[in-house]
Amino acid sequence: MTEHTANDPRPPAPEQLGGDPQDTPAPLHPAPGHTVTFRVSRSSRGERPHFDTFQVPVEPRTTVLDGLISIRRHQDPTLTLRHSCFHASCGTCAMRVNGREGLACVTKLEELGGGTVTVEPIANAGALISDLVVDMVAFFERYAPMGQPLVRESELGPGSRPAEGVERLERFEDCIECGICMSACPISATDSRYLGPAALAAAWRVMSEPRTADPERAMALADVDHGIWRCHAAFECTEACPSSVDPAGAIMRLRRTAARRRLGGLLSGTRSNR
Amino acid sequence: MNQAPGAAVPAHIVIVGGGGTGAALAHDLVLRGLRVTLVERGEVTSGTTGRHHGLLHSGARYAVSDATAGAECIQENMILRRTAPGTFEENDGLFVALTDEDREYGRRLVAACEESGIPSRELSAEEALRLEPGLNPELLWALQIPDGTFDAMRLPLRWFATAKHNGAVIRPFTEVVDVTSASRCVTGVVVRDHTDGRESRIAADMVVNAAGPWSEAIAAMARVDVPVQPSPGVLLALRGRLCNMVVNRCHPAADGDILVPQRGLTIVGTSSWLVDHPDDLGVPEDHVRAMYDEGAKLVPAVRGAEQRAAWSAARPLIGGRGGSTGRELSRTFECFDHARSDGVEGFVTISGGKATTARAMAEKTADVVCAKLGIDRPCQTRDVVLLPHTAYYLS
Amino acid sequence: MIEERATSGTPATRRPDQPVRRRGLVSWVDVRGRRLGGWAFALNRATGLGVLLYLYLHLVILSMLAGGPGSWDGFVSIAGSPILLLLDVVLLFGLLAHGLNGIRVSLVGLGIVIDRQRALFVAFFVMGLIVFLIGAVRIFGETGGGR
Repeated sequence: MTEHTANDPRPPAPEQLGGDPQDTPAPLHPAPGHTVTFRVSRSSRGERPHFDTFQVPVEPRTTVLDGLISIRRHQDPTLTLRHSCFHASCGTCAMRVNGREGLACVTKLEELGGGTVTVEPIANAGALISDLVVDMVAFFERYAPMGQPLVRESELGPGSRPAEGVERLERFEDCIECGICMSACPISATDSRYLGPAALAAAWRVMSEPRTADPERAMALADVDHGIWRCHAAFECTEACPSSVDPAGAIMRLRRTAARRRLGGLLSGTRSNR
Repeated sequence: MNQAPGAAVPAHIVIVGGGGTGAALAHDLVLRGLRVTLVERGEVTSGTTGRHHGLLHSGARYAVSDATAGAECIQENMILRRTAPGTFEENDGLFVALTDEDREYGRRLVAACEESGIPSRELSAEEALRLEPGLNPELLWALQIPDGTFDAMRLPLRWFATAKHNGAVIRPFTEVVDVTSASRCVTGVVVRDHTDGRESRIAADMVVNAAGPWSEAIAAMARVDVPVQPSPGVLLALRGRLCNMVVNRCHPAADGDILVPQRGLTIVGTSSWLVDHPDDLGVPEDHVRAMYDEGAKLVPAVRGAEQRAAWSAARPLIGGRGGSTGRELSRTFECFDHARSDGVEGFVTISGGKATTARAMAEKTADVVCAKLGIDRPCQTRDVVLLPHTAYYLS
Repeated sequence: MIEERATSGTPATRRPDQPVRRRGLVSWVDVRGRRLGGWAFALNRATGLGVLLYLYLHLVILSMLAGGPGSWDGFVSIAGSPILLLLDVVLLFGLLAHGLNGIRVSLVGLGIVIDRQRALFVAFFVMGLIVFLIGAVRIFGETGGGR
């Protein structure tokens, strides 16, 4: 990344002007400033992951994603990674950086404390396609059936009213489906049937605000052995979530609801709601 | 290779580029009965599409200078709400006048919206502040219009999901390294699958270049010319949802004049400059400062808001080079049939446009493709309700 | 070079033959970047196994009672040695950690305390530490084979 002013719009490095992207990558001319060592997990077709090491020129603003894109553009065009929005909204750039889950687009290198930056794909959320790309199927197989709508009521502003013609103020759900919670969860790491934090958080959202979804169906899917009762309160999902979903809190609230229903069922002599 | 009408094997179209346009085109062509393979060098929407600010245009931004563009926008706005329900924050938007010049522009805006068929409602400063208490309290007047917010990736994912479900083959991490031709007719593409490094040929009855600001590079492989000028802009994502409605400055398009709420964030954009190549854009610091300055004029809380991210995205503008900022080039789209412009058959480029009109761009391109192949099938994308975006991963 | 005519419905993003990439048991002990909840989880795994091992040893030792005064006295003679007292202290730690965290997990896990789970961990940690230190001092006061 290079800084330049609006009066001089062209990036200074000459190899970036024009040119066919199919040319061999331009030789790397590090800008004045320092470089960081990236250790990136590589795998062809999801087999035999190994690490490749790269020296990447960086600046204060540079993120892990910037660094990886720079590697792809100038050093190794075969590096595969997922990214799209660059602002923590699409969730596709979720990775494990130095052993911790995060979104590469908002993980600044200067916050990593120096030293080699080790980048690996997220775990537990799907099969490894190649390098840092995971197919996310395990994630969506558990998450999608909950039927959580993409949109929820907006809680902003006690003073705000919807404009005329707008029924209710709404906003997107917090969950950006990145899979970071599943990757951080020690139970998802060992139990292939566990629904995982994201799916269970979605079930809680459907219980709280059904909209077009079916809350009883979500509860039935979640209130099983390998659903809400599998969680061991590590709370790593809540700590790692980049979007304030608090999946662990959602799981415990679902448990509270399930426990109350069963207790109520016991006290009133009716069958519990399973 | 032209497809005779009524032939048993449907024509095979290769789409280069997995952004919003490619997605909508795959969806459209598959519904018309063609076979589609879409190739994208990275993750889908990893080019310009994924990075835009998520504005579902009402068309008001374009209505004053281009009534047709405005009308087209509001039509697409309504079609998208109908075919992709539940994919938008539908809180409407405001054009906010802070100065007398703004107010004057506002009068023209009201007339232009009327002409383009964009529903609008004039608001006094008090009424506007009741809707959005976070607005600059010194605003003079506001106009309510049906802007909205969408997730830049998740809307196209619905097109991808539906297309896949209907038989399209979507291949991310598959980069076009060459376009094959025989006797001035494009016959297919050569691709490298980056997940395993293997190269292969994909034969096609027609290749559509939907690579956005990278279109020139693809066109060059087919030995044709396409006048696409990449024009990046800077966007900021601020922590905190500072407004529920989209907030626009009521003046001709300029830097930092829009705030788009998106879940728990507020997107501020954008600026405009020109580059020769859409990669390695950089994020100029003075543009970032300009976003804060201009955004704070609309909603003062922008000033102190923490930055979640700052990034650049390159618009694919139609037109030759030689401008200074890009704002003078049109935001409309154009479909180039290279048989007419360059004498090369089997190759079509669709470029320009904006995210809100991707479906219309696809419809026009699909019309051109079908006409060239002698296929008479109508477009169905105005009415077909799309599968949910999660279906993309599960099919 | 492979000649390829695209067929329908073959999503190239899936590798159905490849299993989900799970981290496995290493995630139970890898505490890099973990916060309190993650430490509590790892500690509970470790102390759970430790207390289980103790239970087995305890039964083995008690079985010496069945062997009569000869075998039992043999054990008692080493019961006050520093090494065994140290193991007793370790056992105390394990029981306190596992027990108190278990109470925390139960409270949190039934939704009685949710948002203050970290504070609960700290509170139990402090309580546990005090009991542990008192206990450890009293245990080591037993050196010399008992009173």
